[in-house]
Amino acid sequence: MALISLEHVTKEYDGKPVVNDLSLKVDQGELFVLVGTSGSGKTTTLKMINRLVDPTSGVIEFADKPLTSYKMRDLRWDLGYVLQQIALFPTMTVAQNIAVIPEMKGWSRQKIRTATDELLTTVDLPPAEYRNRMPSELSGGQQQRIGILRALASRPKVVLMDEPFSALDPISRTQLQDMLLHLHRALKNTVIFVTHDMAEAMKLGDRIGVMRGGKLLQVDTPEKIATNPANDFVADLFKGAQANQGLQVTLSQLAPFAADVSARHAVGGNLTLAEALPLLDAHEALHVNSEHGAFVVNTHSVVAYLASAFVDQNTETKE
Amino acid sequence: MADLWRTISERHGELLSALGQHIEISLIALMIAVVIAIPLAVWVQTHHKTAAVLLQVTGVLQTIPSLALLGLLIPFVGIGTLPAIIALVVYALLPIFQNTYIGLRDIDPSYEEAADAFGMSRLRKLFKVELPIALPVILSGVRTAMVMIIGTATLAALIGAGGLGTFILLGIDRNDAALTLMGALAAALLAIVFSWLLNVMQKVSWKVSVGVVAVAIFGMVGSQVYTYVTAPKETITIAGKLGSEPDILINMYKELIQKADPDVGVTLKSNFGQTSFLYNALRTDKIDIYPEFSGTVLASLTKPSAAQQQQVTAGKDNYPLAKKLLAKQGLSYLKPMAYNNTYALVVKESFAKRYDLHTISDLGKIAPSIRAGFDLEFIDRQDGYKGIQSKYGLQFKVDSMDASLRYQALDRGQINLTDGYTTDAQLRQYHLVALQDDKGLFPIYRGAPLMRTAFAEKHPQLVAALNKLAGQITEKQMQTMNYAVSVKNEKAATVAHRYLVQHGLLKEVR
Repeated sequence: MALISLEHVTKEYDGKPVVNDLSLKVDQGELFVLVGTSGSGKTTTLKMINRLVDPTSGVIEFADKPLTSYKMRDLRWDLGYVLQQIALFPTMTVAQNIAVIPEMKGWSRQKIRTATDELLTTVDLPPAEYRNRMPSELSGGQQQRIGILRALASRPKVVLMDEPFSALDPISRTQLQDMLLHLHRALKNTVIFVTHDMAEAMKLGDRIGVMRGGKLLQVDTPEKIATNPANDFVADLFKGAQANQGLQVTLSQLAPFAADVSARHAVGGNLTLAEALPLLDAHEALHVNSEHGAFVVNTHSVVAYLASAFVDQNTETKE
Repeated sequence: MADLWRTISERHGELLSALGQHIEISLIALMIAVVIAIPLAVWVQTHHKTAAVLLQVTGVLQTIPSLALLGLLIPFVGIGTLPAIIALVVYALLPIFQNTYIGLRDIDPSYEEAADAFGMSRLRKLFKVELPIALPVILSGVRTAMVMIIGTATLAALIGAGGLGTFILLGIDRNDAALTLMGALAAALLAIVFSWLLNVMQKVSWKVSVGVVAVAIFGMVGSQVYTYVTAPKETITIAGKLGSEPDILINMYKELIQKADPDVGVTLKSNFGQTSFLYNALRTDKIDIYPEFSGTVLASLTKPSAAQQQQVTAGKDNYPLAKKLLAKQGLSYLKPMAYNNTYALVVKESFAKRYDLHTISDLGKIAPSIRAGFDLEFIDRQDGYKGIQSKYGLQFKVDSMDASLRYQALDRGQINLTDGYTTDAQLRQYHLVALQDDKGLFPIYRGAPLMRTAFAEKHPQLVAALNKLAGQITEKQMQTMNYAVSVKNEKAATVAHRYLVQHGLLKEVR
């Protein structure tokens, strides 16, 4: 059953629609991803759900009642929120940041402490070590883990995530995506996740809504989007994601494209292509030590690999 | 340096109480400014046009010269601590308001969005998120304001509010560098200590800070209330300008008044910096009596016509004219004392004896051998050295020198003639004599109590009491009393009392 439903929702700024007659239902326990390019209206749609933005027309319902029928505070305590800018409060410790909503809800100190420590443990940040750190003492990836815990701390029914990983480096991003999937499976909570990265959407989403120009083009499972895109735009977006996915292969898979040159800079075979590209820019050639043996890759190897990957893809979609 | 230590050890009691006054005035002003400026800056976050206007207004307020501001406030709030605090608050508003406004405005909007998205109320967001994030910027504004307040509070002494400025002003007036230095150093140290305290408070938990501030407020408000409650209900306020002479005079007034009417309470406010402060305070009923000189009345407080001006230039007694012009303003100028506190040409007693010098004209016979040291003002005045040249036809070899150095230079024999005032303590201190102005060059400055006519009519017995000083006190006697206070560090009250007793002025009128 639908936990959140948007019916004919339009948001206009200065008479121009940013979100245009959008209808959508998100089910209980679902990880729903809204994907689209910048300016597609995905973030505005998300912010209308916790009323950071109010729609110009249309109705949004949460648990079968219009948002406007809830007390603002109670509504927001039930809708966790994670920002792209992370925005941990810089004057509060890690534990105080996580406890922001529990404290407002009047939990006892003991209960807050227990919950905070449990949460920190689930994201592999030992409480004893991290509880009293300030946000500025954490890496970007660690900060966003706390950002997610802050949204989860009071057990909200829904968590809204606005491009939470797009400011992170590729390694942290992958780690946090995996962490999010793990948490989602454990908590069985409802998540609405906004991203511009189709690959991320494909990886995370139970269902994906593709947006463009304020409209929903297609809402479907990742498989259906891959096999049955509603139009060329969705198809292109998916293809782009595949190409991007191509950059996520490990260097060990480039063995067939090894170059016949020598290289002084050595790297591990489990490094992804995305991570290796900056190194290649600096060193021209890399000595890869993979479990399948050692070989050298240079920019020619990468181009040759990508060319073969794209040819495969294009022939696949034409079939 | 040795002078400084001696001064500190001699006056450590006064220093401590002045320090206390200074801290009290500064902290009260700072807290009032904080209480006004911070909420205002919070409120205008959502009113950007108002914010721009307020920034302009507080900026303009800060450009008003502090002396002018103190002067402007006297007609409305009187003298003493209140106008001083108001003026200091006015100066402190800009840095605190500006820093709070900018500190809050420049908070990354994503923090605001996060706070909103977590359902924080407006107040909770302000106290838990916005103010803590802006705190370093706000506190740097408070620190700027505080250092400025502690510095500017030295001027509070000019309007009878006390504080460390008293030493600075007295030191300047008495040419006592150690005294000035003591006041200035204490004020500077105070600024440094408080700046440091603010830093410490920033680091300790806010609960401790709030506690400390609360105790400070409680203590100060308590002492204010106590002072207010214990103050006598019906009092006459007598004020005096900066220096030992007005201080001695107002102490005499006080004794004479209390002798005439033991039930009346008398408050003394000494060491006011400016004639205009006292004059305005008197006219607006903030003080009741102050001693004024006839020469000052004609030069600064009234506008005599050209004809009237002409009458009094030739060294004639200008008291009757001053009295007449003041009466038109509704002010009563009581009978004057004997002495004339005016410019004088001064030589050593031994020098006068050797050449048989009594009058300025006597200098004619030895003019070529005279080496004079005058201050720049005197050299340039028509009723100064210029008049000496034209009226007496005297020409000396003249060095210009700072007023504070001339007596010492005379004492050491570097010069043998200088300008001074007829009642200066230094005349007694260095055994000097003032030559008689036999051709009436210098304007006449006769001192008498000034009060509102309405006040004089209501208190005829006080007028009678004060008139006992009429024709009393010669220049020599005044020199001696000034010497006792400013060189010997006797209390003005003691010196005043001694004079009144010795001259039988405390006997009953009837």
